Parts: sequence; structure tokens; C-alpha cells
Amino acid sequence: MWGERVRQPLRRRNGKPESVSWDEALDHIAGRLKALIGAGKPVGVLGSPRATNEENYLAGKLARAGLQTNNVDFSYHSICGPLFAGLEEVWGEHTPTASLCDIASSQAILLLEGNLAETHPRAASSVIKAVENGAHLVTIGFRSTQMARRSSLHLQTTPGNEREVINGVLAAILDQQSEDPTRVAARGEGYEALWQDVRSVKRTDELRQAAEWIARAERATFLLACSDGQGDQPREVAAAFATLAAITGHLDRPGSGLLPLLARSNVRGACDMGVIPERLPGYDPLDDERARQRLQNLWGKKLPLDRGWGAENLLQSVSGLIVVADDPPSVVPMGRRAMDAMAGIEFLVVLDAFVTPTVRIAHAVLPIASFAETEGTLTNMEGRVQKLRTATNPPGEARMGWRVLAELCARFDIGNSYTSATDVLCEIAQAAPRYAGIEQRLSEDGWGGALLEDFDSAKFVVRPAGATRGAALASAGRPHVLVRDVAFDWGRDPLVSFSPTLSRDYQSERKLFPNGFVEMCKGDADALNLGGGRHVRLASVHGDAVVPIRVRADLKPGVLSVPYAFRDQVASVLGTDSVTAVNVEPP
Amino acid sequence: MAFAIEKRAITKWLQMLLESGEVIAPVRGPCGDILFSTIHSPEQVAWNFQNPLPPPKQFVLPQTDPLVTIKRNGERYEVAPTYDDTRRILFNVRSCDAKGIAFLTRMYEMEPADASYLRRANNLTIISLACNIPCPLGFCVCTGSGPFLSDSYDVQLTDLGESYLVEVGSEKGEAVVSGVPNLFRPATEDEVSQRKRLETEAKNHFEQETCHFASAMRRISTGRVQDALWEKMSDWCLECGGCNMVCPTCYCFSVKDLGRDGTWIRCRMWDSCQYAAFTLEASGHNPRAHRKERMKRRFFHKVSAQYYQRDAMVGCVGCGRCIKVCLGATNMPAVVGAIRKGKWNE
Repeated sequence: MWGERVRQPLRRRNGKPESVSWDEALDHIAGRLKALIGAGKPVGVLGSPRATNEENYLAGKLARAGLQTNNVDFSYHSICGPLFAGLEEVWGEHTPTASLCDIASSQAILLLEGNLAETHPRAASSVIKAVENGAHLVTIGFRSTQMARRSSLHLQTTPGNEREVINGVLAAILDQQSEDPTRVAARGEGYEALWQDVRSVKRTDELRQAAEWIARAERATFLLACSDGQGDQPREVAAAFATLAAITGHLDRPGSGLLPLLARSNVRGACDMGVIPERLPGYDPLDDERARQRLQNLWGKKLPLDRGWGAENLLQSVSGLIVVADDPPSVVPMGRRAMDAMAGIEFLVVLDAFVTPTVRIAHAVLPIASFAETEGTLTNMEGRVQKLRTATNPPGEARMGWRVLAELCARFDIGNSYTSATDVLCEIAQAAPRYAGIEQRLSEDGWGGALLEDFDSAKFVVRPAGATRGAALASAGRPHVLVRDVAFDWGRDPLVSFSPTLSRDYQSERKLFPNGFVEMCKGDADALNLGGGRHVRLASVHGDAVVPIRVRADLKPGVLSVPYAFRDQVASVLGTDSVTAVNVEPP
Repeated sequence: MAFAIEKRAITKWLQMLLESGEVIAPVRGPCGDILFSTIHSPEQVAWNFQNPLPPPKQFVLPQTDPLVTIKRNGERYEVAPTYDDTRRILFNVRSCDAKGIAFLTRMYEMEPADASYLRRANNLTIISLACNIPCPLGFCVCTGSGPFLSDSYDVQLTDLGESYLVEVGSEKGEAVVSGVPNLFRPATEDEVSQRKRLETEAKNHFEQETCHFASAMRRISTGRVQDALWEKMSDWCLECGGCNMVCPTCYCFSVKDLGRDGTWIRCRMWDSCQYAAFTLEASGHNPRAHRKERMKRRFFHKVSAQYYQRDAMVGCVGCGRCIKVCLGATNMPAVVGAIRKGKWNE
């Protein structure tokens, strides 16, 4: 009823999709994949942060044990990967150390945001509760968002220089700690190097004030969204942000902590299920001998050791690909390039509930149930495992995703006689030890779900700040900065874009600009004598493009922002960057 | 005239009600939560319960309400109205919710009267349960919609310990009480005075301080609320629309055609006036493009004097659900307080 659903298994014959029976479709898929593997061609699987833990677990099992490859990932990982890497450098994990309750009862909150109120309303709700109770909210970002307006202090950045601001806060905190040695919360490894690195950073009153609030708070939470930047910057920003939490002692103090802000419902679950090339279920490293043994015993197959490709490389390199509930071109940074690569894949299989662009080019399509029609579990941003219950029946011949994947597994001799999603969850408990007992707790805990136990507080490493890049991106020839707004854009999520209600509500203005737009602040638009809807030519070192503008009140002068959904319209300007200096002129 | 019924006789009465139509009552779910749901046996009815988050308005105004069936017939289309003539009895609803349904009916019976809604409402008998102990977040005493009712019910029950006092408020109420021999007896004078005492006690039990609707109503109806205040308050709202979805008096909807393969059902669906596209026009123009304007509209609608002048009521029944559901901080008492004081509490 909402948007176009996939109703029957489809198989492409002579370039045209034809309805076939489930058995024929599954046999055909298994046969083709086995033939590709037999011919020595690379194959891979993409899981999805929209899919349940059970679906992701079986997708990972199918890849590693069935297809004998570590080419398994989810496309959103190409965006959140740098953030994970940065956090792991500091304390070895990327999992949150704070819960939503901790946020609501914080005395100080440091928020590095895209646009929290729009991307994570539930977390924004906790922030609002804390601010209502008198917490000091410090926001870092290039947009004057709703949270920034409600903050005690907004540290405005230019896209790409978040690192400078964080180093400033770091320096101010270290100043205070050196004045008062009793306030040094922790001196991890690398502390001295950090001190040397930030010694020369300029401190302003604002930075000192932010440092004061954070250092003095008994309970402080740190919220970190994916950031934009060239090259390694997003990873460095995440590492610096985590260092800030670590040296103030807030990283793992009860009531304090850090919470990465990820888009979509089950990124955490997809990671825990091992749907990333270098991690096995349980988030154990690929070469961890104990974990390998555990899984080999459980799955009855030897596991491959070769490193797998990440999502973007995987799309470019494999000959056979299974995509579970995802539309990679709408998710990865370079969407058009991903679409071209996928069109060249020899055998593309898609399991999805909706007719996405990926489904349209697939060689075989298996219809699966949407979230309202399936059963299983999801692990949310704070590590709460929640149960999905079926509210209605899937349309046509669509089946629950876990069942379809279980049948594919069976065709690769790694089947198991699962009779329900709970059976899969019980197997997950053996594969990923942190999920042990979850099934029992879920049946006891009612609607609230069950919070995963925290990792033992690992010792953190204080990272040296490195030389702060002072050089501004913009120059006389290219005075503006164009940023690809990484704040997740729900507008292209199938669940949203195929639902008239949701797409109307969230992205109603988008309908006026079907071919995209770039956002510009009022001052800049006035200076160029342009109104909203008029076109401009953007030119960077990479190339140029002509796009309409939309005038916004919340942007900083000199900054242009392109919504993630429209990044392909300025792909020639951005090149491989997410931030770049541009010259703006009337076309 | 008031009646009384012994508690042990309630099962018998419910059995008779079950034979006469669909009975909807608060039911305890598997995880302990309470929901209004169709019952099949008297034991399912919950008696000691906190009012559930979703109000019972869905039984007169379903979230997806089929109005018209459209069928393709060759070159032509056939259009036929859809009516729901099920006889329903709403049992054990709280005073605020009974008042909420009366509010909705008042709105939908205005010309042009809404036949689809009215059929459901006319077939609905409301048996309410007065609140001896007000709920923690409720402020119905400020909106004249509880804890005990003097109108808007067909039958009102009051828990007197051993028995229930049964007040009949309409012909529909008369029908579910008088057709039953030997279950009801005339209430004694003691029982009637006990009910009065309970009402006074309940009124003294409110935790929420009075909501100052009168003063807020004067300010908002005479245009004395500054735009800056709306702008400030709108930053404390996350535009989730939760307040609309749980509000017993919200009735705004949008219309959608659901269907495929040549048959469509034109449905009325709950909508939220807080969403940007609620007032988006086909031209792209939006008369309430900013959140502050939508918020102003919502509270003007609920709190201004329009309903007071017409029916001596406000557009809020004081159930407190918006306090519970609000992701931000802009629930009814908070905003009414801010309007009265002319400033947002920061």
C-alpha cells in the first residue's frame, strides 16, 4: 500500500525480471554463486543497519562459512567507519559508555553534532531534559541548530576545523589540570605528548568556560556525530573527542560517558553480528584464535583468514553480491559511482521489502518482510536489545528475512533447523558471547528490551593531538567552503521515501527541488544578489556544477552545505572530498 | 435517579453487555501495560489502572478511517460510502476520555455534519468510571472534565467499596441499565452522599497545581502573547507530533487513497498540525512554515475562548497524556503556564 513492494521472487531472464517460485529462485542463486566461487571470482555480502540482528547474523554466517569470504560489510560503515576507528584508538572499543538516561541526568553535555534534533530526536529529548534541569550544554558545529540555540555555549566551526575547536577545549582543560594537580582525573599513556602538542593552541574565554563546565561536572556526557573533513580528519576528530572524555575522567565514570550518534536503527547490531570485514560476531578481531575456534565449532566450517573488502571497495570488485535490505547508492558517499559499479556486477542478488534502485538492477530479487511484518531483535545506539513483534502480514509471497537467509545458508551446507527468529537469537548467544542470556532477559523484561552489559572498562590511551592544521581551506580564489552534510538524510531511506506520509513530513521542501539544491546563508545570497531557487555555479579544484540554492538562516557566512541526499548533484565539485573550497558565482 | 450495583453482580452485567454488542474496556497486556481493547469475557476488564497512553477516541475516530470505496468499472468509477454500524459499549473509560469523545462529537456534528463519524458515535454507549484518586499527571479539575462527571456520559460508575453507584446520563444509558432485571437497585441516600464526599476528596488530591486556563485563555484570545515567546517555546519542541496522537480532543486528519488493482479506499487518517507539511499547499506555499506558527496555532485552538463561549469548555480535557509523551518540554500545563506568565520558564 505504501510505495512499491516486492511481492514475488524475481529472476532476470533475457534482461527481464520474471516471477519464479521460491525454490527456483533460491536454487538458482545458490547455483550461480557456487559457479562464481568455483571459477575463482570474488563474491561478497552486504548486511544492513536496517535489518535485524538475526538477519545480519545469518548474512555474516552465509558470507564467512557459506561463501568462504570475509567480503562482508554494510554500506553505512563507509560513513561511520572513521568515527569507530577514532574511538577505538583511544579505548579499544567504539561502543557507547553512556546511556540515554545518563544524558538526561548530566550536568554538562558536549555535543559535536550534525543536527541532533532532526537525526536523533530521542537523544535530543534527553538533552532537552538535562538542559531543563540546568545542565550546561556546549555544542560544536557549523550550523546554528535547535540544540545550538538551546545551548549554554555554541562553539561555531567551519566545516573541517572541528579538530581545532576540540584541541582548544583540550588545551583549556590541561591548563586547569596543571594549575590544580588534584583535578587530573587520569594520566593515561601519551599524556605528556598531548600536553606538548596543544601547548600553543589559542585559548579563548569561551573555550575556558566550556572546559570549566566539563571538568567540574560530576556527570558529563559526550555526544559525537559523524563529522565532515578531508582525508583522515573525521577519524582524528573522533579520537580527539574521545581523548577529551578520557582525560576529564568522564569516559567510563558511572553516569558519565561517550555516545556515538549513528544513523538508522541497528548499526550497533550489525557490528556486533560481525557484518564488517575485519570483525567476527562478538566484535572479535578476524585473527582472534579463540573466537575463530568458537565459530568454527558452532558453524562446522573452517573460516577464511584473508582480509575482506569494505563496502565501497567490495562494490567495485566483486563478481557476485548479495545485498540484504539496503540500497548502497543511497548510502555510500559516492552514490553514482556505486550505482555504476553495481550495474557491472555479474550476479547481483537483493533481499528487500521495497523496490529500490538496487532491486531494479538485480539479477535475482527475494521479497522479504518489512520491520512491521517480521520478528527479531535490534540493538539500539545505547546497546539496548529490543524485540520486534509482527504487527501485520507481509504482502504477496514475501517471507521474513531470517527465513530466507536460513534457506540460503542451508544450500551452502551451514543450515540449522531454525523454527523461529528466537532460535537464531539463541545461536547468536553462542556466536557473540555478550548476547548470552539475552533471549531469556527479553522474554522477562517486557517492552523495555535488555541492555547489553558494558565492556570491562578498558584502559584508555591518550592520543597526542598532532599538529593542528591552521591552514584554512578557503582562499582568495575560492572564498567559500562547500560541505557535504553528513547528518543522515532520511529522505532517501526507502522506509521514508516510499511512504507518502513520512516523506511529505520530513522532506516536504525537497519536492520543490527534485534535482537538488545547495544551502547558503542569507548574507552570502544577498552579497551575490541571489534569492532562493536561483542557480549558482560552484567551482572547486575538482570541477564545477550549476545548482539551485536555498537560503538558510542557520548557516555561517562562507559555508555552503549540500544535503546528503543531493551529494551526487555536486559530485563533480566535491570529487572525493566531503569538504572543499569553492568559488560561487552566478551561472 | 441513581442506582447501585453490587460488585459481585458486575460480571453478570458485563455478560449481558457482551451479548448486546462489542464491549471495549481497559485490558492488561502481557507486559503489564493497559490498553483499550475489545473484550470477550468479563474477567478481562481492568478495574484498578492508570489511564492508558492511547485514548479510546480510536473507537469513534479510527486512526485509519475508511470513508469511501472507489472501484474502477470499465471506463467509469463507482463510488460508495463506507459506514461502520457496529454497536459498541465503551466500558470503564475515565472521565477525561468520556469528555473527550463528547468534544469530538460536538465538533463533527456541526454543519456539514460528518455522517461517518456520527454513525459510530450514535452507536456508542459510554460507561465511565469516576476517578476516586486522580492520576499523577492529570489536571482535569482545571478543565472541568473530571475527576467526576456531571454530563458527557451515558452511565457513570463510582466505586463505593462494596458496590458501584450507577448514574444514568442519557437514554442510551437508560437502555443498558433498565433492561436488566434484578441487578440494579435504587441507590440509598448514604450511597449518594458518599459519592459526593468522594468527589470532594478526589478534587483535593490533585498533585498538579491548577493550570490557570482562565488567565491563559484571556491572554491568548486577546492577542497578548508575544511572537518571541512562541519562537522561544518552539525550540523546546522536537516536532514529533506525539501530543496530537495521544490527545483525546485532537481531530485533525488528512485524506489518503489506499489501494491497488483498481480498488481504492479513501481514508481519513490522523494527522498532526505540528508537522511542517500539514498546511503545505500544492503551490508550495505554506501558511505555517515555521514551527512557532504551528505551535501557536495548536495552543490557540485548544486554549482560546472559542469553545468556552460556545460550550463553556476548553479544548483540553486535562488527561495529562501530552506531559507523558512529550519528547521536548512543551506540554499543555507548561505552555499554559508560560502564556499566563508571558515568559518561558528557563
